[in-house]
Amino acid sequence: MKTVRAVVSLLLAGLVFWALDNRHGTFPALGRLLDPFTGFWQNGSRVDRIPRKLVIPGLRDEVRVVWDDRRVPHIFAGSDHDLYLAQGWVAASLRLWQMEFQALYTAGRISEVVGPLAVPQDIFNRRFGLAWAAENSLRTMREDPRTREALEAFTAGVNAYIRCLGRRRLPVEYKILDHRPEPWTDLKCALLLKAMSYTLASGNRDAAMTAARDALGEATVDRLFPFFPPLVEPVIPPGTAFEFEGPASPAGGSEAGGTGGTDGEPPASGLPKPPDLLSSGFLRGPGVGSNNWAVAGKRTRGGFPILCNDMHLELALPAIWYEVQLAAPGVNVRGVAFPSVPQVVAGYNENVAWGFTNGGSDVLDWYTVTFKDDTRAEYLYGGQWRKTTAREERIAVRGGRTVVDRVVHTHHGPVVRWADEPPFPDMDVPAGAALRWAAHDPSNEIASIYALNRARSYEDCVEALGMWDCPGQNIVFAGRDGTIAIRHNGKFPLRRKGQGRYVLDGSDPADDWQGWVPYEHVPAVKDPDRGFVSSANQLYAGPEYPYYLGWDYAPFERGARINEILAKARDVTPEDMVRMHTDVLDIRARAVLPRLLELLEGKAAGGAEEKCFEELQAWNFEARAASMAPTVFRELWAELDRATWSDEKKGDMGRMPRPASEILVDLVLNDPGSEFFDDRSTPEREALAEIAERAWRTAVGNLEKSWGPPGPSWKWGKVKGTRLGHLARIPGFGLEGLEVDGAGHVINAIERAWAPSWRMVVELGSEVRAWGSYPGGQSGHPGSRFYDSFVDGWAAGRPAKLVFLKSADEPHPALAGRTVMRGAR
Amino acid sequence: MIAVAVCLLVMLALQVLTPFWWWIMIVAFAHGAAVAKSGRNAFRTGFGAAGLLWLGAGLYFLLAGGRPIAGRMAGMFGLGSPWLMVPVTALVAGLAGAVAGYAGYAVRDALGKRGSGRKS
Repeated sequence: MKTVRAVVSLLLAGLVFWALDNRHGTFPALGRLLDPFTGFWQNGSRVDRIPRKLVIPGLRDEVRVVWDDRRVPHIFAGSDHDLYLAQGWVAASLRLWQMEFQALYTAGRISEVVGPLAVPQDIFNRRFGLAWAAENSLRTMREDPRTREALEAFTAGVNAYIRCLGRRRLPVEYKILDHRPEPWTDLKCALLLKAMSYTLASGNRDAAMTAARDALGEATVDRLFPFFPPLVEPVIPPGTAFEFEGPASPAGGSEAGGTGGTDGEPPASGLPKPPDLLSSGFLRGPGVGSNNWAVAGKRTRGGFPILCNDMHLELALPAIWYEVQLAAPGVNVRGVAFPSVPQVVAGYNENVAWGFTNGGSDVLDWYTVTFKDDTRAEYLYGGQWRKTTAREERIAVRGGRTVVDRVVHTHHGPVVRWADEPPFPDMDVPAGAALRWAAHDPSNEIASIYALNRARSYEDCVEALGMWDCPGQNIVFAGRDGTIAIRHNGKFPLRRKGQGRYVLDGSDPADDWQGWVPYEHVPAVKDPDRGFVSSANQLYAGPEYPYYLGWDYAPFERGARINEILAKARDVTPEDMVRMHTDVLDIRARAVLPRLLELLEGKAAGGAEEKCFEELQAWNFEARAASMAPTVFRELWAELDRATWSDEKKGDMGRMPRPASEILVDLVLNDPGSEFFDDRSTPEREALAEIAERAWRTAVGNLEKSWGPPGPSWKWGKVKGTRLGHLARIPGFGLEGLEVDGAGHVINAIERAWAPSWRMVVELGSEVRAWGSYPGGQSGHPGSRFYDSFVDGWAAGRPAKLVFLKSADEPHPALAGRTVMRGAR
Repeated sequence: MIAVAVCLLVMLALQVLTPFWWWIMIVAFAHGAAVAKSGRNAFRTGFGAAGLLWLGAGLYFLLAGGRPIAGRMAGMFGLGSPWLMVPVTALVAGLAGAVAGYAGYAVRDALGKRGSGRKS
């Protein structure tokens, strides 16, 4: 009996030990996590202590880090090497878990942390070739001595930080997810850049557009998806002269395929394996967009140019950016950086400022592939059989068996999905098609940023940006010499008009990319007469530009609103520009609502409809959190859009691809009898009036169903429910239910989960002055008071004046402490 | 009470010196196997020593700048207040210490050896 009791109690104790010492599914190892001596209790505000002295192996000279009261590090070093080593250390001290998580995710290794649930995401990222792309670029980055040094120093800094971390000081997410940091590698820096290329330069609707063309005919598709849409004001102002000719033979069919394939073979799998991360979808979401503009001194009160930028990305904690100042001989630059990449990505130095919006040009195509047989060893190209290559991907899975996936490559690129596989949630991938993507090609954006950080003039920037291949961006520039400029900058494939809008024929060499648009020919404008430049992800240039770069750009609203304000602006001050960042005027509503209300006049049935009608009538078109009208207009527009377009689909099309908003706005204003308003499911012929009334009825009904009778629950801020989710979706680690002004298609583009990720206003006077804010905080530690300390100022449109020091000794009222770093003796 | 205090101090020392949480189980087991007078005594001592240690330490870290992180953890576990993380921490430790202490006593009892322990 006693023996039985002993055995049972031992087993019970063993069971309790096992339960508390291991993670179960997503449930953490409670014993280790709750242990006050090594668990989460150790992740309190002690992370906010500023170390006074640090010994960091690898440093050659002393480095001084001055911390301001917003926890922004200002790093002063004696050489590039020490500067980037210190940046690596500082970045890791603020954001290590985020850095590793993003790298693992991008590399398709997140199953190692998350477990079997994440395998489909890892397979997608491996098939898409994100790690392969990073390896290709890393080789190029290592060939350039400056970027090689920057990467190696940065990596050494991150690893110095990792080495000094005991279990107690591990970021709390490691404790919750129960993993440990592995050594950092240069490849992880390259991976983050590929993650950004994926977010910004992989959007495509090729499969859906092909189905639409086959069902509706090319003429209808061209009408609904015009290359030069109405209402859109291109980035390069109309009338800008381009002093070059276009390609001689845009439809050419070079035998060798020119740049038809990525250089070289897919690397064997012996190369450094990147990390893998979770599948929270941090890479992708709807509504990627951004604004930037620069105003010339002739329009500003101080007579100095002012540059503004707000880049829209998915909201997350820890935030995607952190602020930093980097100074060493030859460079003193301030702005925001990705935690995983050395240098400042967007910002300013003592002479110039620059900022980004996504370019949106098409650098991704799908090619149908005819394989000789089921071995997929050969495929048809130019009338001959060519050999495929394969890359074996081994996906290690926490708590499961390693998954081995063989990714087949043609000269175009990898085949991402086979016909017998289910669709990927991330992207509409045509089955059996090979992916040709510019981001797979070797490139060295780090070299571009390196030169940009040190630029003294527009000419320096142009030279620096020649190394910026992907993702293509609209890069705005302003210099203290008074220059303003904008460039639709990147490495763009040379194609005939419309090539790549549909899935291409992978066996026809004429469908390959035929080279690249020469860098000197990318759309750009410097010091235009109108005294400002701007972009909001819209079409890059009008028909006078001789190259075809793509067709699927942002709709008209933000770009037109920015231009409308700036065209009237005189005596502009930085404060005006700060206010402009939070402009919420909805010009789509302003354009169509009077017409729609005319049609709906007297049609309201019931109290709810009457109340909504009154709200819209009284609305000033501003997307304010406290207002009901934006909620009603959003729903009305969504229903009108659905009622107009969804019945256009024919044959075996899936969902009808949605034309841009300007197409519907144009029809509402100029063609209310358009055939597209006709509901094809009824025998009658409807026009706008009938469709608008139906949309109105459905919209109000939907809102009542979701939010009850019209009242405070309908307020735009509440309905939108902006949130900053934690990167690994850990409950309680994000911010939920923010009620904030703004909407996706107004300048202040705060949506539910996408929003301005960094707002910056820079005045390039004798002293450069700048203001900035981002949704998040400098520290990635959830227990830090700097974890989300910028959110309130960001939400309210109150940016901070940015501290920009000339030297480490400069006195400044906003400094909080100093760290002196020395190398090991 | 003395046994609880001694166990607690031994656990504290081992936890401060090494990064392992499971000392609270080992020490409670050792007490049960070597000292405890009864199963109930072993269970209670294990529960008390481990629970009080983690209760006190949790409270200390909560007050020393741990409220934000405790609040986030409470959010993760669906609890309303950062303060609740302290009793949760203590309960988990207490449970681990109690079952280990009882197992220690039961093993000794099965092996037929007499405890040499004092009254606690």
